[in-house]
Amino acid sequence: MSAPLNGSRAGFAASWERRHGERELLLSCIGCMALGFVLILGADAADGRHLAATDLLPLVLYALCLVAVHLTLVLTGFRGDQVLTATVAGLAGFGLLAQVRMGGFQGDSGALTPWLVPAGLCVMTAGALIFANGRYRVLARGLWLWAALSLLLVVALLVTGQRFRGAVYALGFTTPTEALKITVVLGLATYLERHGQALARWHAGLPPWRALWPLLAFWAVLTGLLALQRDLGMVMILGVALLAVLVSATGRIGYLVYGLLAAVGLGSLLLMFFAHGQRRIDTWLDPFQDPTGEGWQILQGLSGMYAGGLWGEGFGIGSPEYTPIAAADFIYSVIGEELGFLGCVVVVLFFLVLFQRGIALAGQARSPFGRLLAGGLTAVLAVQTLLNIGGVTKSIPLTGTTLPFISHGGASLLTAFGAIALLLAISDGEPGRADKPPRATRSRATVGVPSPGQPRKVRRKVVPPAPNLPGD
Amino acid sequence: MTAFDPLQLFASLVGSAAWPALRLILHLAFFLAACVILWRAWTQLRPVDAPPSGGIAPLLALLTVFLAVLLYQASWQLTGLFRPQFVAFMQSHDRREFNPAHRIARGRILDRRGRVLALSREVDGQVYRVYPFGAAFAHTVGYSDPRFGAIGAEAAGNAQLNGATPRTLASWGELGRQLLTKDQRPRGQDLTLTLDSELQLLALQRLGDRAGAAVLMRTRDGALLALATNPAFDPNHLAPDLFRSPAPGTPLLNRATQGLYPPGSAFKVVMAAAAIEAGFTGTLNCPAQGYTTSRQYPPIRDHEFYSARTAGRAWSGAGALDLPTAFAQSSNVFFAQLGVRYGHEAFARTGERFQFDRQVRFYPGTDRYGSLSTGRLPRLAATDRYGLAQASIGQGRVLASPLHLATIAAAVANRGLAMRPRLLAQDPPASLGQYMSASTAARLAGMMRKVVTEGTGRGINGADLAIAGKTGTAENPSGAAHSWFIGFAPAADPTLAVAVLVEHGGFGASVAAPIARDLLVKALELGVGP
Repeated sequence: MSAPLNGSRAGFAASWERRHGERELLLSCIGCMALGFVLILGADAADGRHLAATDLLPLVLYALCLVAVHLTLVLTGFRGDQVLTATVAGLAGFGLLAQVRMGGFQGDSGALTPWLVPAGLCVMTAGALIFANGRYRVLARGLWLWAALSLLLVVALLVTGQRFRGAVYALGFTTPTEALKITVVLGLATYLERHGQALARWHAGLPPWRALWPLLAFWAVLTGLLALQRDLGMVMILGVALLAVLVSATGRIGYLVYGLLAAVGLGSLLLMFFAHGQRRIDTWLDPFQDPTGEGWQILQGLSGMYAGGLWGEGFGIGSPEYTPIAAADFIYSVIGEELGFLGCVVVVLFFLVLFQRGIALAGQARSPFGRLLAGGLTAVLAVQTLLNIGGVTKSIPLTGTTLPFISHGGASLLTAFGAIALLLAISDGEPGRADKPPRATRSRATVGVPSPGQPRKVRRKVVPPAPNLPGD
Repeated sequence: MTAFDPLQLFASLVGSAAWPALRLILHLAFFLAACVILWRAWTQLRPVDAPPSGGIAPLLALLTVFLAVLLYQASWQLTGLFRPQFVAFMQSHDRREFNPAHRIARGRILDRRGRVLALSREVDGQVYRVYPFGAAFAHTVGYSDPRFGAIGAEAAGNAQLNGATPRTLASWGELGRQLLTKDQRPRGQDLTLTLDSELQLLALQRLGDRAGAAVLMRTRDGALLALATNPAFDPNHLAPDLFRSPAPGTPLLNRATQGLYPPGSAFKVVMAAAAIEAGFTGTLNCPAQGYTTSRQYPPIRDHEFYSARTAGRAWSGAGALDLPTAFAQSSNVFFAQLGVRYGHEAFARTGERFQFDRQVRFYPGTDRYGSLSTGRLPRLAATDRYGLAQASIGQGRVLASPLHLATIAAAVANRGLAMRPRLLAQDPPASLGQYMSASTAARLAGMMRKVVTEGTGRGINGADLAIAGKTGTAENPSGAAHSWFIGFAPAADPTLAVAVLVEHGGFGASVAAPIARDLLVKALELGVGP
């Protein structure tokens, strides 16, 4: 696959040297999370719980995983982004700490939990390597696959799922529709790479219907199905991703305008038909109307954050168990309670660095498909984060979305890591262009992306990856 | 056993005295490490982000949105104290013991002389609310209790008492200090009431064991100097039983503001005002056999008839009475005829003008102790003339609360302008409405003075204080008559209005009027302020 495995010591050394920034950041992450871990264990011990060696398992797993991720990326000579891996590792560390703290690793459903973050990191690394070196463009061939897969996912969940707390869940309380966040964006990027130019040709202030109607039809069906599941959060996430990708592909702000108009219309329509949504709006506007009923969760979350104040109670000291389902949707309020407002600021900054990275990577992607895909995935993650944090802080109505990388929840966690895998793959650059800087202004000091001074010979062997279809 | 067990070592470290300090250091180190990671990530990414095409707009949008969310979050997390409902929610529903909302040293509640009516006291890390006067201010100061919520001035001044209304730079600085040091004992600001504890205690003492209410208010600005009600409860010892069933004597009811009683002859103040406004000047014949609208109904008679009958004497009737004389003698026959003469519509208009059938708030908020139930006038059928005759003497289905009658008396003393009752010293005076013209008020005031000098209220006429007022003896289905007195003093230049009700007390002149006199005398002796 790459030079170092073929025995090139020089290649390994170069790769080791190139990824020193990532190494440093990952080691800092391990150190930081170890500090947090000691705090939690200390609080446990202070409560009189006997500590066992197995209590260290999550931290050890996390550290080992980061080391493994780094070594794999170095060994394979991966040229992709380094800040992205480090930021995600940091966020995942926060998630791990919060889950350990919430006692997610004890009790009945806890068996799988300590493996979720490691599994996510594995998915991320594997995905990044599989689709690296421009191979992600294979994905652009599956327009019908993505469209069909997306609809199939929703329909399957609708047919087989059970209702719980107003939403629909599949077997074992998983939410396979989380995968939509990737499949739909893939489909969008594919469609717009092909039809982007046609869609950019507006007439008299109106978009070109001929090019737009398949997209609209697909969207109508998808939104309808999601609305049936009352998954308004997903509708919003995908809607914003659609607009972001559309505008980015066509350069037409008009899509944004019409999109917002449609969103307002659709939103009020949905609210008319779904008492559930109207209730959430009412609770959002005045949670004190029914403080012990509808408003209980949000008010308990806010109470915890108020108790945390500026600095926080300290990891492991708070009582987030008073907030219902805190480990899932309300994990942000747990962070607010135990790490205070400053802890929340740190988490938000981690997310902002991540999004900035995603946006920058989209800008650097060579192919339109890569650009749209990176932009779409970043938009998905950003909107999901905003819906969660905004909901928990009562800035916007609750939509029941999870906080990427941090919330408890297998499907959502793996999807987020999957999205990062694709971003990393795109950041690896195109084959055959390794020695040409993607941008003329690139400086040598850059750590984030491959340095132009270090050409990678082997890459050239794989020059035309596009025709390498799996079936060939 | 192993020689060295790091976990064991760690556990003993946690158990040691150094752990709290160490925990703090670790906490800070954690923050520091996270910031270092962020800083390094940011500096590493800066060279690359140079000109991402179209990348700056979405990033700016994201920054703005997340900054807005963080700011909004701070308005709960850092300055949640400024949200009274939120603090109340946390105090009653948050079980986190470390929540500072539980340890807010609420400000004190003071009377107008600075005497402490409520204060916070900390015992073993728990803050309790203490009410030095016990039941005396239960319905005005109210209570603030984690189990039962807040009511009364405790509810009305919640934000201020919790420290959420910093007015001076120093109190802002104090808030900032609490935030930075994560002080677990925020201090609130004091709240001053218009009440005078001496007058309140005097009123309660004079009521004694009898159920009833006594109100003393300043005529010109509506400030309540005493708002006493009996029986009451002790806010220092709240128990669920108090709230569960209709307890005997209904101690939760504020009789002064929410108690609705037949006003009896005290209502003649309202009828007399209406008659003066309507231009009534003549006389009405008031025979001994009384007045009725139909033979079916028993005649309405004057109290002289009954006292003569009890004494075994004959009474020849009052004869032709003019309004002032009828008012001073409290002639039922006169006022029953008067009401019927002007009719149903005029009666309803009068009730409207005197703001019956209303809830008037006398401090901001929603709790029931801040609400004045003015009274209730019956909706009479146009054919029900007997009902109208009864209503015109304050009997039948007419009801009024003591505080509303005090407000009416104050309006007479204040040239017809009724002031909204005030309990919080910081609330500005406000008017409720012009109950009658200034000239009517002047004439009525003279008539009320005559009640005390030569009418039913002669018993309280003294050289020390010129009181004007109206007695009332209200018959009611549940026992002996309610005893009323409403009035104001000094008659020449009134500053105080009073209303006293003693449930089943008997004659207004002999039971309620002396209490009213004592309150007025004491108040003027103490000095009542502006």
